Amino acid sequence: MPELFMRMMKEEWRMHSTIFGQVSFALFPFMIFGISFMGSFLLPYLRPALPIGDLALAVHAMFLVLGAMVGEFGLMGNEMMNRRFGQASLLAYSARSLPLSGRFIFVNFVLKDTVYYFFLWVLPFGAGYVAATPFSGASFSSALLLLLTLALAFMWGLCTVFLLSSVYVRSRAACGVLVTVGGLLFLASFLLKGPALALLFPPYMLYCGFSWKMLLSTCAQLAAIYALSLLLFSAEETGTTKVHGDLFAPFLARFGFLQQSPLVAKDLVDMYRSGIGIGQAIFSFAIPLVLIWVFLSLAGPFLPLHGPIMLFSMITGVVGSTIYTWVTEFDSFGPYACLPISVSTLIQSKMTTCALLQVLPGAFIAIMAVLSGEAENLLPAVVLCVSFSFYAAGVMAYLCGLSPSVLVYDVKVLFTYLVLDGVVFAIFSAVSLANPLYAISSLLLLLPGWGFVKAAMRRWDAVDPGGY
Amino acid sequence: MSAVLEVSGLSKVYGDVTALDRVSLSVEGGSLFGLLGPNGSGKTTMIKVLTGQIRPTGGSARVLGLDAEREGLRVRERVGIIPEQESPPSFLTSMEYLEFVGAVRQIPDIRERADEWFHLLEFGDKRDVLCKDLSRGTRQKLMFAQAFIHEPALALIDEPLINLDPLMQDVVKEFLADYVKSGKTVFLSTHILEVAEEICSSFAVLHNGKLLYSGPIADLAATGAHLPGFFLSLVRKGSHA
Repeated sequence: MPELFMRMMKEEWRMHSTIFGQVSFALFPFMIFGISFMGSFLLPYLRPALPIGDLALAVHAMFLVLGAMVGEFGLMGNEMMNRRFGQASLLAYSARSLPLSGRFIFVNFVLKDTVYYFFLWVLPFGAGYVAATPFSGASFSSALLLLLTLALAFMWGLCTVFLLSSVYVRSRAACGVLVTVGGLLFLASFLLKGPALALLFPPYMLYCGFSWKMLLSTCAQLAAIYALSLLLFSAEETGTTKVHGDLFAPFLARFGFLQQSPLVAKDLVDMYRSGIGIGQAIFSFAIPLVLIWVFLSLAGPFLPLHGPIMLFSMITGVVGSTIYTWVTEFDSFGPYACLPISVSTLIQSKMTTCALLQVLPGAFIAIMAVLSGEAENLLPAVVLCVSFSFYAAGVMAYLCGLSPSVLVYDVKVLFTYLVLDGVVFAIFSAVSLANPLYAISSLLLLLPGWGFVKAAMRRWDAVDPGGY
Repeated sequence: MSAVLEVSGLSKVYGDVTALDRVSLSVEGGSLFGLLGPNGSGKTTMIKVLTGQIRPTGGSARVLGLDAEREGLRVRERVGIIPEQESPPSFLTSMEYLEFVGAVRQIPDIRERADEWFHLLEFGDKRDVLCKDLSRGTRQKLMFAQAFIHEPALALIDEPLINLDPLMQDVVKEFLADYVKSGKTVFLSTHILEVAEEICSSFAVLHNGKLLYSGPIADLAATGAHLPGFFLSLVRKGSHA
C-alpha cells in the first residue's frame, strides 16, 4: 500500500511539473501562501463592513467547491491525459496490467488526492492565515482551527464527488436520482431556513463552536462517505459497445451559419456524449453559484441596495468564462493536426462554442434576478454577466491558448489572469453598485475581450502545437 | 514526372536533441516513396515538418509547390495525413468523424465516399460506434479512410499497416499500388522493411536525424541486394560512424 501511494504521489507531481516546469509548479503553494498572508491584512478593514463569520463561511464554501473540482479532475484524469498527451495513462488505471485490485488502487487514489491537494492548496492557504495572526488581529488558536475546518471542508467536497462517481459507474439513473433528490432537498431547506441553511455545514459548525465531540462527529461523517464510496466502487463499466445515432450532422446543419461550424458541432457532440457538459454544468457552474448566492444573501445587509444581484452577476460572469476551459479541457491539437486546421482556427471555434454556451450564465442570472425580486435590474445584470464573461474568457485564451485548465497552475499565468480580471472586476463592481443601470456600460468590455482573442490567435499560432 | 516534394538542408532541433540534421531529398510524382529508419530516427518529425505542423530549425521544404513552413495550412488542405498514433476524437462515431473531416475539407458527397471506405476496409459494422470504443485496428482503418477520402495528390502516411491483420494489410497494399498508378504520390514512413521492399518504388534511410541513403528500389535490386540486409548494414555503419 505505501509503495503504490508514494508512486501515485510522485506521478501526480511529475504530471504537473512536466507540464509547466518544476520550479514554476513548486512555487504554486508559496503563491497561495502569499495570497492568504497578504489577504489577512485586509481583515481589520473588512470587519466593520462584513462580519468575520460570513467571510469564514465563504472560505469554507470555496474549499468545499475546490474539493469537488479536484475530485472531478482526478476521476477524469486518464481521459484528459490521453487527449492532451496522446497515449498516456496513470497508475490509477493500471488494474488490468498490475496484479492489484481496482478497489485497492481506488483507495490509494483517494488517499493520494486527499494528501497531495491538502499540501498544494489547503495547507499553504491556512498557513498563510496562521502566519499573519500577529498582524491581522485574529487569534492563533482560531487560525489553527480554520486550517483544520478548511481541510475538512475540502475533504467533504472531494469525498462527495467520489461517492457520486461510484454511484454513477454502477447506475447513471441512480446517480441522477441522487443528485436530483439532493438538489430538491437543498432547495426546500433553503426556502424554509433561508441563508441560515449554510450554517449547518458541519466543518463550518465546527469552526463556529469547536468541541471534540463535534470534531469526532464530523470526521465520522466524512469517514462514512469515504467508506460508502469505496464500498460502492466498481472498476468495470457494465455497458457493452453501443451504437449511436448521428448527432454531428444535425448540429452541423443547425449551426451552419457559423464560420467554424464543423468544429463547433464537434465540440457540442463531444460535450453531450462525454457527460462533460452536464458534469461541468452541475459541479463547476450550478453548485458553486448556488453556494455563492447563499453567501451573498447573508452579506446582503452589509452591501448597497441591489449589491447582491450586481456582484452575483459579475461572479457568474467569472464562472461563465470558465466555460472556455470546459470546451478545451478534453481536447489537444492532436486530433486536428492531420487536417487543415490551425491553432488560431481552433481557438476561434472554442471561443464561438463558449459564446454559444453563454446562454447558460445569461439564463441563470436572469432567473436569479427574477427570484430575488430584482426583475427591474435583469437587463443590466445579464449584460454585465455576459460581457465580463467574454472579457475573462478572452484573457484566458490569450494567456493559456488551448490549455487553460493546465496553465492555471503556472504562477505567472495565474497572477497575470488575476490582475487583468481583478482590475476590471473592481471597476465594474464600483460602477454597478453606484447605479445598476451603469452596468450596461460593461458592453465596452467586448472590445478588449475581442482584442485578447485576436492576440491569442496570433500568439498561439506562432508556437509549435505539438500534435500527435 | 516532376518532384512533388523537395527538401533541402532540413533541420529540426528539440532542446538538446537533433531530430533532423540537414536532410535533403526529392520525391517524384506518381511514386510510392518509403522513408525508412529505426525508432526515433526522425521519420515522424519529418512528416510533421513537411505538413507544416512544426517549424524547421533550418533548411526548407516544398510540398506540391508550397512552402511547408509558411503555407502549412494550404499544404494540409491538399495532402492526406495518417499520424503515427491513431487519434480520432473519442466521442464521435466513425461515420460522424468522416462527416467532420468532410465538413472541414468541404467534400460535398461525404456520406457516399464514407460508405465506399467502410466497404473497402470492411468496417461498416462500426460506422455508428464511438471512436473510443473501436479496436486499434479499426481506428487505424478510420484514420486511413480520412487520409484518402478527398483523393489527395500526395498522402503522407506514418506506419499505416500497424495494427492491421495480414488480410487487411493486403487490401491496403493493393490500394496503395493502384493509387500511385493513377498518378498520385504516397510518402510512406515505416520500419517494416519487407513491406517497403514489396510496394515502394524508391526509398530513403534516416538514422539519428541524418539521411544515410536515397534512391530507387530498382537500383538496389540490380545489385542483387535485398532491402532488409542493406538497411541493417547501413544503419549499423551509421551507428558506428
